[in-house]
Amino acid sequence: MNNTPVMRRGAALAAALMSASLVLTACGGDGDGTGVQAAETRSAEPAGTRSVKAENGTIEVPADPQRIVTIGNTNLPFIDLGGKPVGVTEVSDSDLAALPQDQKAVYEAAEVVGSNGGEVDLEKLAALKPDLILVQFHSSDWDKVGERLEAIAPTVLWGLDTEWKAFADAIAEAGDVADALSRQKAEFTEKVAKIQSTYGKVIGGTSFVDVSRGDWNDPGTFYIADIGCSEIARDDIGLDLPEAAEGKDPLAYESLPFEQIGELSTYDVITYPVDAEGKPTASFVPVTETNTWKALPAVTSGRALGLFCPGNNSYGPVIRYLDSLDSALATLPAAK
Amino acid sequence: MTTLTLRRDGPGAKTAPGPRRRLLGLVVALAALAALLVLSVMIGSTSIAPSAVWDALVRSSDGIDQFAVRDFRLPRTIVGLVVGVALGLSGALIQALTRNPLADPGVLGVHAGASFAVTVAVGLLGVREAQGYMWFAFAGALVVTLLVLALGSTRRGSSPVVMVLAGVCVGAVLGGAREALQLTDPDAFDMMRYWNAGSIVGRPLEVLWPILPFFAVAVILAFVVSGPLNALALGDEVAAAQGVGLARTRVLAVIALTLLAGGATAIAGPIAFVGLMVPHVARWIVGPDQRWIFAYSILLAPSLLLVSDILGRVVMRPSEIPVGVVTAFVGAPVLVALVRRRKASGL
Repeated sequence: MNNTPVMRRGAALAAALMSASLVLTACGGDGDGTGVQAAETRSAEPAGTRSVKAENGTIEVPADPQRIVTIGNTNLPFIDLGGKPVGVTEVSDSDLAALPQDQKAVYEAAEVVGSNGGEVDLEKLAALKPDLILVQFHSSDWDKVGERLEAIAPTVLWGLDTEWKAFADAIAEAGDVADALSRQKAEFTEKVAKIQSTYGKVIGGTSFVDVSRGDWNDPGTFYIADIGCSEIARDDIGLDLPEAAEGKDPLAYESLPFEQIGELSTYDVITYPVDAEGKPTASFVPVTETNTWKALPAVTSGRALGLFCPGNNSYGPVIRYLDSLDSALATLPAAK
Repeated sequence: MTTLTLRRDGPGAKTAPGPRRRLLGLVVALAALAALLVLSVMIGSTSIAPSAVWDALVRSSDGIDQFAVRDFRLPRTIVGLVVGVALGLSGALIQALTRNPLADPGVLGVHAGASFAVTVAVGLLGVREAQGYMWFAFAGALVVTLLVLALGSTRRGSSPVVMVLAGVCVGAVLGGAREALQLTDPDAFDMMRYWNAGSIVGRPLEVLWPILPFFAVAVILAFVVSGPLNALALGDEVAAAQGVGLARTRVLAVIALTLLAGGATAIAGPIAFVGLMVPHVARWIVGPDQRWIFAYSILLAPSLLLVSDILGRVVMRPSEIPVGVVTAFVGAPVLVALVRRRKASGL
């Protein structure tokens, strides 16, 4: 075939454009699937599999998964159980700062495949050739990427409303890290029993309130914490802490003006958030600096207790919280 | 030769009330504001006995209630008063300057500039405290208004219409950039939710003192240009014939309104409707004389802000609704009712 120079140049230009478009398509982060599909081929599954029940159905997962990617809220609980994910999504700076050094090193060694939420770089994730993906995030995020994740590797999903102990059980089962879970559970049970037996008399008949303040709070507002670590203190230890009425939103969802700090005087003991060094968290400092706080009976009598809560969705951080609670309760007088 | 006789108070003067009635109205507005100041200290999301409030104000007692009054209600009331004055006067200035009864400082890009600067401070520079990003808001408002002023100035001088168009354009661009920044930084978005809603909760008096001198200068400038603005209402040619310096008047008015609106936005976030509605109402009461409109706006605007803030404290006890949300709910229906009742007065 004898092409003219113009035709040859045209053909070369067309080829270049097609190549460029293919490259661009392949580089597209979260496209409609044309470029991603090539990468979204499942890696070879190991011989043995197990069945795991999850929010997205009964999933066949490898019996001994080797390359696990954690997405959303599964990152830190899996690492807490001794897991070593090959891929993770972002966690907040404050969560990262609260991690023990060994766990922080594990997290930092993993490839970050997306933000803390539904933004996942599917190509990056697929390139890690995972044999299991553990996911906990909002259902709307799952709707966006769920099917694609399942096309890459067996994917286990938990909803955000999963209770933390059930969540730890499920992650341990799916990720094959049940031994660590057993040890943590035993330690948790032991610490709960110790606190209840040591401080039973102090706790009985004493009214507590847990207050907090986050970065997201408007200046001049705080909230009463009835979820998270506070829930553990109330439900597992038995502290008399306020909680929302049945069917109502948690108290923690309601921002209260600083003027309401005075209402805390009706409680015998106030607990508030501190960092690992025992200092009030940066976002809570404005509360402690108010004269109203300083004048509260609980504060003037030494019954305002700082508690360190590094996390509340796996046993490791909860055990550290219980250690902090143990130390704090030890400072209270035996009788009211 | 024909002599041009100018009406002292501009268009609409025939229907305007006399000085005695205006003065009486001013006294009533002052009394209403004083009553609202008292109510603002008395009423809050928690119940405090009037005797405890009295103790807090006149004695140095150290009870929890007294601290709540002195540390939270009193500063909040003073901040509401100052922010209200600034918003009302800046609204009156922009309406006089643009001869548009539905203009507010937002049309010059004040809110857009302040919001964009706060987003940059929070999202890119990691500023987390209100006292920190307040200055960014103030600077953003000033810089953007100067930019709008420059864009709105032609070789023939500054035209209110071109200035407003420039303000709308710059505001749209900055609004888009702000939203893009916030979408890429959820933490910044979280932190700015309440600031964007407009709130005077948790603003200590320390945030007010540095901005007060700017407000003082702006109030003086506003009354200096109030007379020339009356002449401007008759048209540029007539004003020039009266010896009014058009460029000087407009520049001084823009400086004054920018200081006022920029400062108020820096302290409380963008609060809608106060700067729009109050001068409008003042004009209906006193007629087109800017001196009276300014005086009434200074009293009525903080009244509206304080009423809204008090409502915001009590309707969802123990939680609160930001004052910016309440002013929109209170202001919009009132303005619509007024507009439907009477024809909008010209300027």
